[in-house]
Amino acid sequence: MFRVARFIAAKDLRIEMRSRIVTNQVLPFAAIVMVMFAFALNTDEIVVQVAPGLIWLATLFSLLILVQRSFAIESADGATDALKAAGVDPAGIFLGKAFALAVQLLVLEVLLLATAIVLYRAEVHLGSLVLLVTTFVAATCGLALVGTLYGGLAAGVRGRETLLPLLLLPVVAPVLIGATRATEAAFGTRGAVVADGWSWLGLLAVFVALFGVGGTLAFGPLIED
Amino acid sequence: MENIGFILATYIATFVGSFFLAAYYLRRGNRLAEQLPPEDKPWI
Amino acid sequence: MAVTQNHITGTANPSANLSANSADQGAAIEPARRRRRSATGTPFTFALGVATIVSMALLVLFGLLLSPPDVTQGESVRILYIHVGTVWVAYVAFGVTAIASALFLWKRTTSLTWDRIAGASAEVGVLFMALTLFAGSLWGRLSWGKFWVWDARVTTTAFLFITYIGYLAVRGLGGSHQQRGRRSAVVALLAVLEIPLVHFSVELWRGLHQEASVAGSTKVQLENLMLFSLFLALIAFTLLFVWLVIHRQRVLAMQDALEDKGLDYALAARQAESMPATERVTTHASQEGTA
Repeated sequence: MFRVARFIAAKDLRIEMRSRIVTNQVLPFAAIVMVMFAFALNTDEIVVQVAPGLIWLATLFSLLILVQRSFAIESADGATDALKAAGVDPAGIFLGKAFALAVQLLVLEVLLLATAIVLYRAEVHLGSLVLLVTTFVAATCGLALVGTLYGGLAAGVRGRETLLPLLLLPVVAPVLIGATRATEAAFGTRGAVVADGWSWLGLLAVFVALFGVGGTLAFGPLIED
Repeated sequence: MENIGFILATYIATFVGSFFLAAYYLRRGNRLAEQLPPEDKPWI
Repeated sequence: MAVTQNHITGTANPSANLSANSADQGAAIEPARRRRRSATGTPFTFALGVATIVSMALLVLFGLLLSPPDVTQGESVRILYIHVGTVWVAYVAFGVTAIASALFLWKRTTSLTWDRIAGASAEVGVLFMALTLFAGSLWGRLSWGKFWVWDARVTTTAFLFITYIGYLAVRGLGGSHQQRGRRSAVVALLAVLEIPLVHFSVELWRGLHQEASVAGSTKVQLENLMLFSLFLALIAFTLLFVWLVIHRQRVLAMQDALEDKGLDYALAARQAESMPATERVTTHASQEGTA
């Protein structure tokens, strides 16, 4: 299963590196979203207070596009059918695609963090760096797992562009809540302390565990014919 | 006065909603049944 | 309500559950018309329907009139009878969907009937979720002055509502019945995983925020008649739920059968076309029947 996963992950990342769709289209999209938030929210005081939330909201919106992309590359040239016909372990496909998605997400989030620091004047302290990094990694894993799972479900059916947001956004609500609170703790927004953040990390960890196992089990039946 | 309005609204919405759902199911059932032979309806 | 003449079943069914439902709103009961039995009805569901009507009528009687207003909440407690009833059904419906989905996926018990029960239950559940949120917001307005509050129970219920809608959307994606069943079963079971997660996150979230506690008490002193009304509500709504799901499941069964047959009829039509005109048999009228 892990061998398959490595192979699939490498394939996905190689496709991205050659086509550069994410770097050329999705990252700018995310950056624009951050700018639009500033337009909508008006004052600096408000924006800096909600900066953690905005980072994760922009991430979620970009997640939708990234997931669509992740599965769009499969449906081109009937690749999915070829994979299924070859009897490739679906759990391996799941983990591989999730990993590739996680890498792309992480790159996106780093960009968003930088944007928040520049545009919103969010402050990152050295003492909370561990919390920040762990939060980002954990949340990314969670989002990638769930995204790949529901992306697989919605792939190749009509109406998938509109179905995916409806399915995915409610599911990632705990990640949004947890990641935002933990990031607030890392930034020190409104007096939040680093200690608070770690309990939220616990929530994120449970999420990752649940969907890691659940997704691996569910992905096979989902993409089966 | 708001009270009575809300209370009645709740009861009415519930019963009207349930009624229409029930009617819809029954009507749909009848329409479909016209087109199917009895062996497809094992509950009868 | 116009019931199409069904020549297959011949028994008359005195105005089923439909006209009698309007009794709940105080309208006069329509005279019993000679009507064909509804296609999805059986003597059992008829009895069930009657029981539902009766208990609903009793609920209105006790809930709206005979039970006393609450000590702290006054008349607004009457909304609770409905609200508790619908939230109970909504969660039961969700549970039924989850269990039926599991039974469908498990090889030993797999059957499309489980898939259809899951779907029927989810549909009914969505209605009752919507009613729950509606009644709940009205009650909240009366008790707390707010239509909405961000606490774990309310938010999770809203979340469940959206999730159900997504589930129904997945059911409508098309493909074979097996595919539909498998996809939606997985979605339903994943939702079971998500619910406690969401509930817990919101609880953690609002707990930390320590919002100013809502004005007004949420405690209800349940005296005898009120307790009775509450149990009446639970019984009445459960009966309604079962009735609705049975009928809906049968409708779905017929829908599936028709889809399967659709292919057969189409093939028969193609074959008929290829025969010389003299031997051509008129195709069954059901091809043009209204869907």
